Amino acid sequence: MRLARIGVILSLLVLAATATVAQPQERGVTDTEIVIGSSQPLSGPAAFWGQGVGGGMDAYLKVINDQGGINGRKIRLILRDDGYLPPRAVANVRELVERERVFAIVSLIGSANTFAVRDYVIENQLLWITPTADANMWAGFKDKKYLFVAYPGYVDEGRILTVYGARQMGAKSVAVFYQNDLYGQKGLVGVKRGVAEARIKLATAVSYEVTDRDVSAHALKLRQSGADTVILYALPTAGALIVREMAKIGYTPKLLSSFTLADPIMFQLAGEAWNGVTLTAFFPVPGTDAKVDAMLETLIKTNPQLRASPFNALAGVAFLEPFVEALRRTGPNVTKDGVVRAFESLRNWDGEVIRGVTFGANRRQGINRIYIVRSEGGQYKKLTDWIEYPVGF
Amino acid sequence: MELRQRYEEDLTLVRGVLGWSALLALLAFLALLPALAPGYFLYTASLVAVHVVIAVGLNLLVGYTGQISLGHAGFVAVGAYAAGVLATRLHVPWPGAMLGGGIAAAFFGFLVGIPALRLTGPYLTIATLGFGIAVNQVLTNWEQLSGGRTGLFLPKLAIAGVRLRDHHIYYLFAGLAAALVWIATNLVRSHVGRAFVAIRDSDIAAEVMGVNLTVYKTLAFAVSAFYAGIGGAMLAYLLGYLEPQLFTLFESIYYFSMIVIGGLGTIPGSILGAILLTILPQQLAGLKQYLPLVYGATIVLVMAVEPLGIYGRWLRIKLWFKTWPF
Amino acid sequence: MVQDMALLVQYVVVGLAVGSLYALVALGIVLLYRTSRILNFAHGDLATFGTFIAFALLTAWRWPFAAASLGSLLTTAVVGAAFFFLVIRPAKESTLLGKIVITLGLALVLQGATVILWGTGTKILPFPLSDIKVYRLGQVVVSQISVGSFAVGLALMGALYVLVQHTRVGLAMRAVSQDTVAAQVLGIPVKQIFALTWGLASALGAAAGILLAPATLLDPYMMLDPFLKGFAAAVLGGIDSMPGAAVGGLLLGVLEALFGGYVSVKFKTTLAFLIIIAVLVVRPEGLLGREYKRRV
Repeated sequence: MRLARIGVILSLLVLAATATVAQPQERGVTDTEIVIGSSQPLSGPAAFWGQGVGGGMDAYLKVINDQGGINGRKIRLILRDDGYLPPRAVANVRELVERERVFAIVSLIGSANTFAVRDYVIENQLLWITPTADANMWAGFKDKKYLFVAYPGYVDEGRILTVYGARQMGAKSVAVFYQNDLYGQKGLVGVKRGVAEARIKLATAVSYEVTDRDVSAHALKLRQSGADTVILYALPTAGALIVREMAKIGYTPKLLSSFTLADPIMFQLAGEAWNGVTLTAFFPVPGTDAKVDAMLETLIKTNPQLRASPFNALAGVAFLEPFVEALRRTGPNVTKDGVVRAFESLRNWDGEVIRGVTFGANRRQGINRIYIVRSEGGQYKKLTDWIEYPVGF
Repeated sequence: MELRQRYEEDLTLVRGVLGWSALLALLAFLALLPALAPGYFLYTASLVAVHVVIAVGLNLLVGYTGQISLGHAGFVAVGAYAAGVLATRLHVPWPGAMLGGGIAAAFFGFLVGIPALRLTGPYLTIATLGFGIAVNQVLTNWEQLSGGRTGLFLPKLAIAGVRLRDHHIYYLFAGLAAALVWIATNLVRSHVGRAFVAIRDSDIAAEVMGVNLTVYKTLAFAVSAFYAGIGGAMLAYLLGYLEPQLFTLFESIYYFSMIVIGGLGTIPGSILGAILLTILPQQLAGLKQYLPLVYGATIVLVMAVEPLGIYGRWLRIKLWFKTWPF
Repeated sequence: MVQDMALLVQYVVVGLAVGSLYALVALGIVLLYRTSRILNFAHGDLATFGTFIAFALLTAWRWPFAAASLGSLLTTAVVGAAFFFLVIRPAKESTLLGKIVITLGLALVLQGATVILWGTGTKILPFPLSDIKVYRLGQVVVSQISVGSFAVGLALMGALYVLVQHTRVGLAMRAVSQDTVAAQVLGIPVKQIFALTWGLASALGAAAGILLAPATLLDPYMMLDPFLKGFAAAVLGGIDSMPGAAVGGLLLGVLEALFGGYVSVKFKTTLAFLIIIAVLVVRPEGLLGREYKRRV
């Protein structure tokens, strides 16, 4: 009796050990559609970014699909919510790859999130279009064959912003308010480089956690440093909070920020304190370019809710445009390698929103320029022309 | 009605033909799962195994010993990060790292158990709550140890240099979970388990009867934390990536609700609760918006309707059948 | 030297302002705990729900601020009382643990409802006081909003004190919290008192939420941190003592501000929880609480 039981269990174990899993085939492409996926913060502290970018991508694809799609195929986008949490992003990407079997991953907001899924995506050799994260993290990274990034790096941006502040705005002493993760930390590195280049002082760097709601102590620290300029690398809520807290204690330094806070919602959240903030931009902002304005109109017509987040919606379009163009150039026979070759053929290409995209056999950084704008009374004023930074990868 | 003729028959875990058939059927099902289910489901199954380990450990503390702990995610975090640090900084292979995680967590459990000797009721709840959040805060801010918000990456699981694939990981985890559940079942049926239950029912009476409160209360915390630590180490290897936001108050509440909904003070209850509350959010992933609402409503309903949890309801049903037609 | 003094005073002022709001949250928790021995983990989400109701009344229905706040407080009180009648009372056979889990479930339900009704985006609560206008006392700067919230917070605490100590209803509440069965025997309508306590506690939470919204901006998760800090304050002051909650809140606010200013901003939140643990180890009943005596 005992022998029989042991025998049964042993045979089950042997059976188990030899079980194999079916291998995946070419994925995400059928005769009628191409399936792509994205993990966005649709809820949580960065919901504003996720809803805007996700909504923009959705609306843009709807417009393209209504016009017949690309070479006869419609593009279907699967959006998953990760709440700006890296472990959820990891789970979402696994789901998109293994369950939904997408052809490519598009965007993915959050430098920390991107860093978390990086290994998995690269290992599985997935097409990844513009992870919406600090582009400088890819420099020196191996196996970038299927990665195409048309997004600025925060290190480059921070440097350019700081140098502009010093040379054009007379800043002598700079303080940084940054998010304590890869996004903010990279921005801080950029600012440090800019401070060295412009030979001014970095008075202090105050970090905050994504979950922090009370920044009164941070504002006090910033004021204590005596800096005449504060550079922000933050979420919309945190940025608004710190600006208001600083105003509450009577501290009104010059304000510089990354383009991540370019949406007009900041005027609502931060009130009059947001006037006169100097920001960067990586595509023509609404109100300064006819094609961009036209695209914005179309997006808002497709989804009226996008009126509240024009910049993020346009950013979503900017992320997708190179991919859509690459699909066009690949023709009716869509394969991963075909799309890679199509991407590599883009030279200084202009979309409706994004401008000057260049890829190549050894180049995966699609854009290497930004410019500076200032917010005045709810509108943006263009302050400089394109400022270039060296191509990193 | 089965009549027991020998003491051994009372002690056995699995009774009779029915018991053995059920057990074998379960083992067969678990063993054949990779062949039956799609690849993605194996990831969920491994996650279920992790949660089973954590839930069983938590139930030992809360259900059997009556010590309310709302900071269990803290122990899980300690186990996960200990395993992570051992694996990445000291290059300990995964069996050692997992064991290390369990031991580290058990040590913290012992530490938390000491003040718990003096605290009862709501004070213990708040103290454990504070502990859980403090662990989260320290991990977020002590970057040298934990990698902060950037996170900690773990090396992949491998045996003798061969990378483990999804279904291997599933077998490993299922095996670990089964072994730990077996140990827990034996523990609660031993004098240790009886001491735990005595403490829960009335600790002053238990002390009067000779149960050493100091030893058994700290033991309960340590054992429960050990399970949480192993679970945390397993989670770390499954995800391959650790971040402090994985171990917040929400996770503590999540583990807590697993055992409450499944059935406090019962091992099968913990398993049921773990399975249900791991699979439910996955299946409801489409209703992302409504998830907290459904989840919360489920908790409220189950607790209002059946305080003994799902397993408790199952026991009542079995009892009804046994005593039918009376 | 004067600079340092001014800085110290500035920190204390900031700490008192935010501490008065922690105290308000703590009062809600303590009020409920005293009467029913339930730790209400849904307190934060009830407060958020109430604040969103105020937001809706102010923006969609365009009520004046005072009316909207009152409306919000009343609605939240009704929700709290309804929760008592519909869920807590029928579940009276479940253990204390079970009741805590039920409040956790309620917290999730309210969170989900808030997200469904108003989305996850951040909103601004139109507040009559401005946070740009500041008053200066020498080197110390204090914003209009801080002064206002502090004053309202104190007023609410005072009103609560008067209610509990000097009215018949308050007497009934104290009787019920001391010994429910004896109160019943004496003819006090225990059910109504419980409902009233739940409603009052929820309304206090909503008031705290409305006062906090200008500082934290309005979104479904705004009360998570203040709720935990309020909890810490309640423990510090004594979880069954209402004056303790007030003192604990103010003290925690000041300690936090000083710690953040002089030691480390990063570990500011950790401080709150280390305080909880320290208090529980050294003196579990808090600064002003009475010792927890158990019947054998």
